[in-house]
Amino acid sequence: MTKGLKLTDILVTIVIAIAFGIVYILWGSVYYALKPIGLHADQFMYGMWFIAANVAFFIIRKPGVALLAEIAAASGEFLLGSPWGLTVLLYGVVQGLFAELVFMAFKYKRFHISVAILSAIAACLGSVLMDFAYGEIGDLVAWNLTLFMIARFLGSILFAGVCAYYLVKVLEATGVTNLVRPASSKDYAELDQK
Amino acid sequence: MQLDFSSKETWLHRINPSLKLFVLIMLCIIVLLVHNLLFMMNFTVIVLILFLCFTGQPTKRILLLFIPFFVVFLSTSSSLIFFGQGNTTWFKWGLIHITEESFFRGLLVGFRALLFAILGLTFALTTRPVYLFYSLMQQVKLNPKYAYSFMAALRLIPIMLEEFQTIQNAMRVRGVVRQTGIRSVFLKMKAYSIPMLSGSIRRAHRIAVAMEAKRFSDTRNRTYYYEIGFSKYDIVFILYFVTLLLAGYYGAIKGV
Repeated sequence: MTKGLKLTDILVTIVIAIAFGIVYILWGSVYYALKPIGLHADQFMYGMWFIAANVAFFIIRKPGVALLAEIAAASGEFLLGSPWGLTVLLYGVVQGLFAELVFMAFKYKRFHISVAILSAIAACLGSVLMDFAYGEIGDLVAWNLTLFMIARFLGSILFAGVCAYYLVKVLEATGVTNLVRPASSKDYAELDQK
Repeated sequence: MQLDFSSKETWLHRINPSLKLFVLIMLCIIVLLVHNLLFMMNFTVIVLILFLCFTGQPTKRILLLFIPFFVVFLSTSSSLIFFGQGNTTWFKWGLIHITEESFFRGLLVGFRALLFAILGLTFALTTRPVYLFYSLMQQVKLNPKYAYSFMAALRLIPIMLEEFQTIQNAMRVRGVVRQTGIRSVFLKMKAYSIPMLSGSIRRAHRIAVAMEAKRFSDTRNRTYYYEIGFSKYDIVFILYFVTLLLAGYYGAIKGV
């Protein structure tokens, strides 16, 4: 098995990511539709913006895929004209990096739902850090900030963690994941003469 | 990006895309470091001039594109204005508490978001993605594997949209009853996302196999269909920002 990503891996990752880039743009209007409710109800929807990293990683299962996917999704969103402009690129890099770190901590060998949730939480943490640097949410009053955090983390777990995991589970049933996943030791064992 | 709407070409289109991206990222970093509201407003005007006059889009479209900016500005500044910390109270009603400090900080953050948005959209409107990735390969030495994958993926967007329509029509033809409620949202998400994702993955895989079959390789000394270089417009672009930003900063300190 060669190290690094092959052309197939990169192309599939980027295509998945660009597809989610379109979703990301459309999600902006959902986000703003909830904004008038106030009290950070919109933050609950924020988790959708971390989903590309998880979906791509759980499909392809190789190092670097999560980071690449989140960056590609962000640049797709940026090139198509997101109302947030260049910010999405900066956020994308950080979120992808944080998600990638979780997968790295499990040595890219664990694909349980808990890993998906952990990486969603990590990506969310990355976005919150960026918000502190950029949006100065640190200046919000304490109760308001708490509400903001709870909404965002819960949303991340639901969308980027649970939803992403089950999305890939259903995709597995279509058989398409066999095309792009590296052969596991189980596959080799099946080839052995009994 | 010009997917399906055309526009006039202006000098902004002729700037080297990598250089344009680099300058914009630099500008964004400067924006992050600015804490002077007056300078921020001058900065916004400087960028706004480029967006309004030199993107080559019809006025009507520019005004239409401006609506989301306005929403971003309002939403970003409002939560800080209404719920921010501060000592000098201006207005208090229930949970809403507007103070002098929170008001100005809200405005500052609002302008920051606005600037990011205008810079990003100006770039998107005046840059053809194909040129951008060719330029990134030639000037920044981006690995061709990534550049060509991006270009192929961007080409697939219209096909994805078409597929979306096909699924919609297919459901209508087969008489799928419109449901309501939370459950229907999940059902709908599944009905669209699974076929579209699996179709896209299969297509991407086929493209990669075809590219490798045609001996696509990673060698750096390859030839390019588009040769992207530098021109006098690059110097104009840099000088525009350097002179006007210095003027804007000077003006802000003098209180204009």
